[in-house]
Amino acid sequence: MFDVSKIKKDFPIFRQKINGQPLIYLDSAATTQKPQAVIDTLKDFYENHNANTHRGIYQLSERATALYEGAREKVRQFIGARELEEVIFTSGTTESINLVAYSWGRKNIKPGDEILITEMEHHSNIVPWQLLAKEKKAKLVFLPVADNGLLKVDEFDKLLTAKTKLLAIIHVSNVLGVVNPLKEIIAKAHTEGIPVLVDGAQAVPHFSVDVSELDCDFYAFSGHKMLGPSGIGVLYGKKEILEEMPPFMGGGDMIKEVTKQDASWNDLPWKFEAGTMPVAQAVGLGAAIDYLKEIGLENIWQYEQELIAYTWDKIKTVPGVTIFGPSPKEAKERCGVLAFNVSGVHPHDIASIFDEAGIAIRAGHHCAQPLLERFGVKATARASFYLYNDKAEIDKMIETTNKAYKIFQ
Amino acid sequence: MRTSDLYREEIIDHAKNPRNFGKISQPDLEHKENNPLCGDEIEIQLKFDHKKCVYQVAFHGEGCSISQAAASMLTEKIKGKSLSELEKLSSQDVLDLIGTPLTPARLKCALLALEALKKGLKDFSKQ
Repeated sequence: MFDVSKIKKDFPIFRQKINGQPLIYLDSAATTQKPQAVIDTLKDFYENHNANTHRGIYQLSERATALYEGAREKVRQFIGARELEEVIFTSGTTESINLVAYSWGRKNIKPGDEILITEMEHHSNIVPWQLLAKEKKAKLVFLPVADNGLLKVDEFDKLLTAKTKLLAIIHVSNVLGVVNPLKEIIAKAHTEGIPVLVDGAQAVPHFSVDVSELDCDFYAFSGHKMLGPSGIGVLYGKKEILEEMPPFMGGGDMIKEVTKQDASWNDLPWKFEAGTMPVAQAVGLGAAIDYLKEIGLENIWQYEQELIAYTWDKIKTVPGVTIFGPSPKEAKERCGVLAFNVSGVHPHDIASIFDEAGIAIRAGHHCAQPLLERFGVKATARASFYLYNDKAEIDKMIETTNKAYKIFQ
Repeated sequence: MRTSDLYREEIIDHAKNPRNFGKISQPDLEHKENNPLCGDEIEIQLKFDHKKCVYQVAFHGEGCSISQAAASMLTEKIKGKSLSELEKLSSQDVLDLIGTPLTPARLKCALLALEALKKGLKDFSKQ
């Protein structure tokens, strides 16, 4: 039984008030709040187990290493990776994608090549490819988005050419809530021999992702969007591809041996983990995974579907509201992200009026300027839900949206 | 629900019916500023009379109500002001016009027009 009032009590941040009113946090697509279990794990690590990993002979370092590597095993199981070597810790989705762009990209992308991405990418899955394309004189090609926010998958065949060397695609849009049909897309790319990188930052927190079943070549996500600490993220990569890739960053722990003029690389996954890693954060991410598993991702997904359907029905009755992205009826699968505008009210004014009511929402371009441009807007308001939100909060959100409309009418 | 503290009537009025909105031809001073965070954009234009006092002022741009209302209020305030009076204008003067406390994120919106004016004055004094 999914008991949201009980879940909410696990998150100490909700004990506070904003402008004298209970905090209503509708910005989980930006970052999620942290349950006590994660906070306690961080505290426990620093109080009892803190040491550098893979270095000390002493017990404390061995314990820290075991906790760090234990977190890797939790991640491996959580995303269905076959091998531990395929799970690389990074600082987050952005670093994960940059790692692939620098290491795999620099080795494999040549002048005239094409990198296929989509119009709904987050800047973190656009800019690293732009940098690479400029350096290598390659070209970025965009799979378009339809008016209802769904990817125009039927144009995929046309855009996939002999020049295409990589497909980099978002799993769930952080603006439209769209869940892209990745299995079908990845299979198609693979028939042409094209590897696929998936930005899963908005997917892993909300439903069960199995990278082996998806058969993607790379999968990137962040800890802080799935109840874990900031500063930790993951790059999953197929072992045979990772083995062929040169290092991304040089430094301690990523080497086997260093001479004055040369160095040899450590084994996977450590080849890509240079310097002291965010050890406590990795352990904290492990605790977040334990928490999510206890609640059950299937339950979280079902509950989010209920919330988004409820919000959709209510918000469309507010005068002047435009919603971006498919309705829950149009999209079989849709995450709990709702981008909207109110006519006559700038999104930043919407966000300020929400803030006065103790409601945190995002306003702006959501790091997806090409997508917003495609919809002819510079900014939108965005509410995003997670397991700790409830219908009473959505009622307050609707009431406040009405109020915003009235103030500027 | 409480009425809004931030969006008092005067702000809404200036945002919806901005004063001195538009462009003037052959301005003596013009400068455009934007706030990349919000996408707010304001260009301010001035014409001076023979005593170097503002006799014509206009702004145009787009953005949130705070940036637009602050620009509207500022253009009203500076009409007839001398160059040295313009140079003395401070952030606090604009915040006094807005009249309600702002969060740090909205402060940038409120001060965008003043920033455009100040940078325009700097360029103008170099001429």
